[in-house]
Formats: sequence, C-alpha cells, structure tokens
Amino acid sequence: MSITRRKFLGWMGAASAAAVAGKTAKAATNKEFPGYPQGLGVLFDVTRCIGCRRCEEACNEVNELPPPEIPFKELSVMDNKRRTDADHFTVVNSYNIPERKIGSVFRKIQCNHCLEPACASACFVKALKKTETGAVVYDASVCVGCRYCMIACPFEIPAYEYDEPLTPRIRKCTMCAPRVADGLLPGCVASCPTEALTFGKRDGLLKIARKRIQKHPDRYIDHIYGEREMGGTSWLYISDVPFSKIGLREDLGTKPAPEFTAGALGAVPMVVGLWPVLLTGIYAINKRKEKIAAGEQADAVAAAVEKANETAANNLAAAMETAEKEKTSAVEKAVKKALEEAAKREEPTEASEKDDTREDA
Amino acid sequence: MQKNTCTRQFVLLAVIAGMAFFAAETRASTVVADSNVAERSDVINIDAMTIFGPIERPTVEFLHDKHTQAAKKMGKDCLTCHPRDEDSGQLSIRYMRFGDMDKKTVMDTYHAGCITCHNEQLSAGETSGPVVCAGCHGKTKKTISNRQTVVMDNSLHLRHIRKTKGGCRICHHVYDIEAKKLVYKRREESACRYCHPDLPEDDRMTIREASHTACIGCHRRLTVQNKSSGPMECIACHDAEHQANIEKLPRVPRLRAGQPDFVFIKTEGEGDTEVKAARMNPVPFDHKAHETYNDTCHVCHHATLTGCGECHSTPGKREGSGISLEQAMHRNCIGCHEQRQLESACAGCHGFMSQSRQMPQTYCSTCHMAPPVGEVRTDADRMPVASAAEMLAARTPTLATYDMADVPEKVTIESLSETYAPVDMPHGKIVSALVNGIENNKLTAYFHTERGTLCRGCHHNSPATKTPPRCVSCHDKPFQEKTLFRPGLMAAYHQQCMGCHDQMGIEKPASRDCIGCHKEKRNHQ
Repeated sequence: MSITRRKFLGWMGAASAAAVAGKTAKAATNKEFPGYPQGLGVLFDVTRCIGCRRCEEACNEVNELPPPEIPFKELSVMDNKRRTDADHFTVVNSYNIPERKIGSVFRKIQCNHCLEPACASACFVKALKKTETGAVVYDASVCVGCRYCMIACPFEIPAYEYDEPLTPRIRKCTMCAPRVADGLLPGCVASCPTEALTFGKRDGLLKIARKRIQKHPDRYIDHIYGEREMGGTSWLYISDVPFSKIGLREDLGTKPAPEFTAGALGAVPMVVGLWPVLLTGIYAINKRKEKIAAGEQADAVAAAVEKANETAANNLAAAMETAEKEKTSAVEKAVKKALEEAAKREEPTEASEKDDTREDA
Repeated sequence: MQKNTCTRQFVLLAVIAGMAFFAAETRASTVVADSNVAERSDVINIDAMTIFGPIERPTVEFLHDKHTQAAKKMGKDCLTCHPRDEDSGQLSIRYMRFGDMDKKTVMDTYHAGCITCHNEQLSAGETSGPVVCAGCHGKTKKTISNRQTVVMDNSLHLRHIRKTKGGCRICHHVYDIEAKKLVYKRREESACRYCHPDLPEDDRMTIREASHTACIGCHRRLTVQNKSSGPMECIACHDAEHQANIEKLPRVPRLRAGQPDFVFIKTEGEGDTEVKAARMNPVPFDHKAHETYNDTCHVCHHATLTGCGECHSTPGKREGSGISLEQAMHRNCIGCHEQRQLESACAGCHGFMSQSRQMPQTYCSTCHMAPPVGEVRTDADRMPVASAAEMLAARTPTLATYDMADVPEKVTIESLSETYAPVDMPHGKIVSALVNGIENNKLTAYFHTERGTLCRGCHHNSPATKTPPRCVSCHDKPFQEKTLFRPGLMAAYHQQCMGCHDQMGIEKPASRDCIGCHKEKRNHQ
C-alpha cells in the first residue's frame, strides 16, 4: 500500500502550517531581548558637550593607541567628518546648526554596544561577543579576519588593521571593559569635564535621560536615541537638535540586527535537520503501514483457509453421512427386496443372504 | 534527490537574505536634496482648483512681486489682473474674477490670462513666463515661503491715524444686520481678527482677504492720486528684514477704547458654585502699565476687547472653549512673565531651572494680594477699582540682596586641582554682574524679595541664607546610584559656570579655553 500524491501534499501543507504557526507564536510571546538587566552603558548629552576632545585623548591613553599626528589640543580637526578607525576608537565631530543659539554642536562617535549586536551575529567564530556587563568585546585569538562585522555594523564602527601584515585585528571601543572590571570608569567618561558622558546601568541612564527631557521639554528633542534603535544600544544619546543633523542615522528602525536574518537563518536548521527527519518519518509510517497490511492480509488468508477447510470438512462429513444414509437405505431396500424375493422362493437361502449383508456394511 | 532539494532551498534562502540586506542598505543611502530652493516672501501657491475636488496637475507656484515688477515695466498696473468691483470700488484679490464659480471657468480664466500674456511677451521678444503645462505645474517646488504675518502694532496704528487724520471709519466697521451693510460705530472699534476669521466662514471675508482688500486697495488709491502711501509689494510687509525697517514712533500715546487704568482680575465668573470664602483674592492689575509692555491689545484680548471673565469662568464655559479662568490667567500671565526669564540677564540662573517646575506657593500672594487692612475680602465686582490702584501703589518692589561687604570677593576652588592650579573664582564680581543686570527690572523685583533669592541661582536647593553650604557638600563622586541625577563635583562646576556663560551670552572665557579659568600648574610638565 503506497502513499497517494494527494496524501503527500496534505502532509506537506500541515508541516508548513506548523512552521508558520510556530513563527507567529514567537512574535506573540513577547520574546524580545531587553538587554542584560545589569548591563552598563553611557548616556551622551549633546547639550553638555563642549567639544574639548578630552575623551579622544583619554581613549588614546587607556587603549595604548599610537600617538596622534595632530595633537588633541587642536580643535579644528573636528570640522571634518572623521570616522573611527583602527587607531581611533572614538572621535568627536562638530556639526554646524545655524538655527541654534550657539552655532556648533558636538557629537561623540564610538561603538554603540548594541543590545543585540549585528557584528556579533555576523561573526561565525564568535570573536565578537555581547557580555553581561553591556560591552561588545572582541577576541582576536579566534578571529579569522573575514570582516563580516564591518559590513554588518549599521554604525560603521569596527575597523581593521590593514597595516598589520601578520596579525591584523578588528579594532573598536570596548566600553573599557577591562577598566570597568577593575572598578574604574571608562576613559572617556572619566575625562569628560562636563559630564556630557554619564556612565551607569542602562536602566538608570534611561531614567536620567527622561528626567532631563522632562525638566527642559523646550530644550531637548523628546527622544532617547539608542533606547530602541536597532533593538536598543548600550550607548544612549539625548540632543537639542534632530539626531539626523548630528550624523545619527534615523532610518535604522527598532528591529535588532539579528532579527533581519533570523527568519532566513532559522529556516536552515529546519530544512537541513527536519527535512530528512520528515521524509524518514513518512517512509517509516509507510513501511509500518505496509507491514501491518501484510500481517493483516496473512491473518485473513489463514482465517479464510481455515474457514474453507472447515466448511469443506463439514460438507464432506455431511456428504458422507448422506451417502451413508443413502447407502444404508439402498442396502436396506435391497435387503428388503431380496428378503421378499427369498421369502417368495425358499426358506434355506434366507440365512446365507443375511451374512452377506453384514459383510457389505 | 533529497540532498539536492536541500541544497537548492539553502541557496534560495541565502539569496533572499542577501537581497533583503542590500535592500536595507540602498534604502538607507537615499538622500533628500534640498539645495537650490530659494526663500521668498511673495510665493503664492495657486491652489484655486483644490476646492473643486482632486486636482489633475500640481498646484502652481506664483511669485507675485516678480509679476508686479513685470507689469510695471509694461506700463500696466493691478487692474491688469485684479478686476474692480464697480459697487464698492474695491479690487478683487482673486485673479481676473470675483468668485470661484465652477471648475472650468476658473481653470480657463487662469489658462487664458496667463498663457496669453506670456505669449504676447515672448512674441515681443521679452523674457517671459512658461507657456507649456509643466512650466507652471511643476512637481518640484523651486521656492519656499518665508512670509511673516504683519503685526499692526501701536506705532504703525498711530502712523495710520495721523496719516488719515483720525479716519477710523476708513478701516473699522461693524456689520449692521438690519441695514445689511457695514457701518462705522464710534467707540466700537476693535481688531480686524475679531470678525475676520483665518478660514472662510459664512459670508465673512477671511482676515487675508479683508486685509489685502483694505490695505492694498487704500495704498493703491493714494498711489494713483500721486499721494504718499504705504507699500504694495509683498516683500515690503511680509519679509522679516523689511518688517524690521518699518519706522517705529518713539512715543506712542495710549489708545483709548474705554479701558480701565486699573482693574481687579476676578477669581470667579458666571456659574461658579464655589464657596466664596474659599476663593483666591482677586488680583489687582495695572492695565495701563501692561499696555506699554505689548505691541497690540490682541496679545491678551485674543477674541474680543471684553474682560477675561466674560468667556473664562472658574469651571470654564463654551465661549471660552472650556478653558477655565485659572488656566487662562495663569497661562497668559505666568507664561508671558516666564518668557522674560529667557532674557540674557535672567537666563543665567533661570536656564538651569526646570521648565516644568511648580511655582513656589509663597509666590501666589505676589499677585493674589491680600486686601488692605480693614477691608473685607469680597467679590471683585464690589471692590472699588480705586482700591486696586491703592493696593498696587502700596507695593514697592525692591530687589533684595546682601550687602556686598558680606559677599565673599574671591572663592578659591582647589579640591579638584590636578592638571591645573586651583581656580580663583571672582565671586564678588559675579554677584555684582547679576545684580546689575536686573536692578531696574520691576518684574524681577517682585519675585526676588528675599535677600538670598538671587544667590540661589548658583546655590540651588539650599535655603536662602548668607552662608550656603559648599558645592562639595552635595556634589561628590559622579554616577552614584543613590544620587543618580546629581552631577559629580567637576561636572557641577563646569556645567554651572559654562551653562551660565552660554545662557547670558558671555563669550569670554570660551568653554574650551581651559587656561581662561585655570592657571597652568607651575610644576606640571
């Protein structure tokens, strides 16, 4: 007994329905990652930054980066739109905002330490990892140098040591994870003279940010950048000018980066893993059915044979009986006839005829 | 076979994932270009067709002054485009018509008029406007309007009175329902806006229509008669720069419209059920003085020239859009007073204060004054207006400060000294500067009556005292969980000093000029 085409399609339909239903259920179960509860972060307040480049200097010192070509005291470099690179984990750029009372605003650029980092999800050797303290840290010993993280990062942060021929590494801000582990503040935060950088638990930072906005609703834009962008970042920003004007992308959405690929990548184990299981299952079910059917058939045949035998035996017995009866009656008839004839003829032959009858029976 | 399907599926998924990623990338790189857009005050968006339903072509961007100049060159005037109503003698503010009759007529009026004129100019070999559809009906706008509304302030009003030799009736009128016409009624003059709405309503002209018909009409009549007159170009009234150059009369006498000099602002209105004894004291209000603080009556009397209580009662009523008397008065009075806090002399201290804070309760009685001794608090109606004047006269606002001899001249900040030498803060100089800035400000004097009030600009959260605690008493190490919202000592100093300098517009020392405040340490490398 083989499966029909109709049945096969039916099963496939059920299987895919189950897969889809599973996905919706995930979305409905509030299964989003709100970040590690004790995760740390930094709040950058644009209104407080005076653009002194102390944070750049401190970053350079604590990370033992090569001395800069232009000294940190030189402030004109901020007018260029600089990016982070292998030797600069953070840069502060100046943005000209004509409608603002004080014309220039400054924005610090560094790794935002996403709650669900794109770089870490793109890294197939787990060289980049989100730690429970909030930092996204890098392990050079496992890195294969594929630079997928650089492509994945929506903030264009990870940089590569292109000048390093033998052991090139990915370089980026570590949120001073080693210093924080020693109970110290991140270099940039400790050096900031105006507390434009506030360090603390991300939950607390959100409270501080909200309170500042509430206190000066006319001054601040009612939004905390990083609270939800790309699923949330450990580095948060509040500002008095639109975030897009200070180089912060406002087109990123609130979905964490791994979620963009989760659907497609999530299907891979299903296809690779479940497909054989499913087919084997179908095969096994078929096999079993066939086996059962064969067994049943054998039983039926045996039963039928038995029954037939029985009937045949019965018929035979009946036929024998009938035959016997007929024979008996025929004999009796014949005997009777013979007796009658004999009686008609003579007395002496009577005895001999009786013996014959007994032998026949 | 099974393996094959797997591979194919995987490749397909990978491709889809890749495509999704790049789609996101390209979406991100779309940039909106907004260069080459000029700002002008004479942009009129011709959207006359929108009232007839969905439009077939984009609306037309029309530069009025450009056309006025072109017409002038050709020896033509307003009548070329704006027909005159024979009855009233006024020009229509619409193009070549008095009203919007039907879709086809309006469309044809524009097409026939505009294209004919442009063609004539072209054939005469002059520069001209477009003659093909997309020339006018462009999708992208080349200009944006920076048109400013015109404020007929007291000075400009007086200039008009003088020019017309008291011809109030030229502009002011009321509608006589019985006679069905506009008539002038002496002593009933009020702002145009009280009757002419922003958007069309019944048979009333909008404020836009009314003001252009009346103002430009009059200016044109005078120009035609070769008399000196006001401007007719858009830019002259609606451009910010031109507005700033409008002549201001140095002294404008008070406009009389039967208003009081002093008045009690009621704390109750019609329909109040509240127990009288539980009401706030009525506020004696210096109406005469406030007339000089504002450009027009319209600033406070936004809908009529009547008293506030006519529309705003304690529970709020329909005429006042449900806005209660308390809300109306507090928003208007306190709102306006708080605007003054943004002035540079005040912003140094007030810039730090929360905008959402509640006024201290001790300030209620600054306005809701207790009635003079012997007088029983009663309804504002029954209190003689003279007593409002008396109460205000009895109040002599004085800015209270400590004697400068008690104020430390120099404060040395040394607890943080590390890279730089300790800072000698010129404490006395700062206090004097703050006092000098507000010394002659009457409003400030009402609210800085305690001697330590001014000190609290920097010594915040401390009671007003001659010896406030040191900064370090509260500001210590930063980022402590128990004092989450409190900056550390270094940031407290920098924020306070730099914030105040920013707010007050003090340019030196600049925020990033470290040695402007800090001396280099002698032994420092």
